[in-house]
Amino acid sequence: MATKQLALVIDLDRCIGCCGCEVSCKQENEVAVDVVWNKVVEQGPYGTFPDVEHYFLPSVCQQCAVPQCVKVCPTGASYINRDGIVLINREKCLGCKYCIMACPYGVRSFNRETKVVEKCTLCVQLQAVDEKPACVKACAAKARFFGDLGDPDSDASRVLREAGEENVHSLPDVGNHPKSRYILHPKMAAWRS
Amino acid sequence: MSIEWSLVFFTLFSGLAAGVFTGIAVSEWTGGGAKQVRFPGAVLTLAALVIGGGSSVLHLGHPERIFGALKQPGSSIFFEALLIGLFGLIVIFYLLALRRGASALVTRLLATLGAIPAVLLACTVGSTYMMPSRPAWDTLILPVLYLASAGVMGCFGIAALLSGRDESPAVPALSKITLMFLGIQAVLTAAYLVYLSVAPYPDVSRSAARVLIGDLAPIFWGGLVILGLLVPGFILLRVEKPGLLTKARYGLMCVLVAGIVFRAMMFSLGSAIHEFF
Repeated sequence: MATKQLALVIDLDRCIGCCGCEVSCKQENEVAVDVVWNKVVEQGPYGTFPDVEHYFLPSVCQQCAVPQCVKVCPTGASYINRDGIVLINREKCLGCKYCIMACPYGVRSFNRETKVVEKCTLCVQLQAVDEKPACVKACAAKARFFGDLGDPDSDASRVLREAGEENVHSLPDVGNHPKSRYILHPKMAAWRS
Repeated sequence: MSIEWSLVFFTLFSGLAAGVFTGIAVSEWTGGGAKQVRFPGAVLTLAALVIGGGSSVLHLGHPERIFGALKQPGSSIFFEALLIGLFGLIVIFYLLALRRGASALVTRLLATLGAIPAVLLACTVGSTYMMPSRPAWDTLILPVLYLASAGVMGCFGIAALLSGRDESPAVPALSKITLMFLGIQAVLTAAYLVYLSVAPYPDVSRSAARVLIGDLAPIFWGGLVILGLLVPGFILLRVEKPGLLTKARYGLMCVLVAGIVFRAMMFSLGSAIHEFF
């Protein structure tokens, strides 16, 4: 049973689409060239000039509370650790890619060299030494926040509270209950994801 | 998503095996003229299972870790592996029983026992793909379509095995059953297209328009409709009954190609709600 609800909160009002999170993720986790754990997706532009909207949506594992990837894994390689982080045990992974199919957001990658599935780990190795995930540390726009959503004093909980419920969004929930949250005010753009 | 060819061949050959062996089981009970193809039919079943099972192993990045699946008996992959193992074992016993000239009761019992995992396997390989993350797959139509496809392949498989032998009294009944499965498959294909139009989280990558008039249209109309439904239907309806058997092998080839086309199309339509990477 998870004792924490560790997750990312990303402020899309601030994200400038620099892809620094992608680069820092690759560096920190030695992610292979053709493998992606973290990707900034451009949304828009929508509308007709001068009424156009556009924002960047950094996509990453949503650390679901009821992860379908864990449910379908035939060997138990995909699991939730005690901090509520969805992880993959590479020594157990069959490489069946069934978890990739089960993910509603397509944020798992198959490493052709090691023949196992990989994904964002929220940099558990950095958390072990009381550091934040590499993407959070590297974000030039200070748009990424990390913390325990169950702890009202965490960075993540604080920014969500300050943003206001009506400006907090999440990706579609098909029973997986994604934990990651996105902040986007309507004055910047309408949420379309 | 990209087409997983090893899974395409796994589901195709396991469907063929399920269809042929269920046909054998039916012939055991009806005592029809298909009796003469029981042994070659069971050999074909076993060969198809080996090819299908081999294809599924090729899909795995680390097949040597397959025993880890024993710890997760609730997973679909475990259930599929269990069904294949059980099905294969019963087919081997059935072959041995036929070889040793066992009584009709024994062969009938074994064929019936084998038909249970066969039918379950044909459904399960389809239901494995039912997941809310892939709106185009999250429908009960899919396992039923896989079952109907197994039925069509099984009927043509039995008919192809009967060809070159003395005219069998089973042919008229076999023609009717095959036509029934083809009809079911046609209705289910249409129902699947309707489902695609009303499925949640609509997207062009998994739309009926993509199938009917988009980039998938050539393989849908050519491979699925013409080759998979019209040509086999023509063979059944237009060819004289004695001629049916000589044409059955062409029918089998057509439905096998259509089976590959359908499965490839299913993978092409299987985009996630958000396909970020």
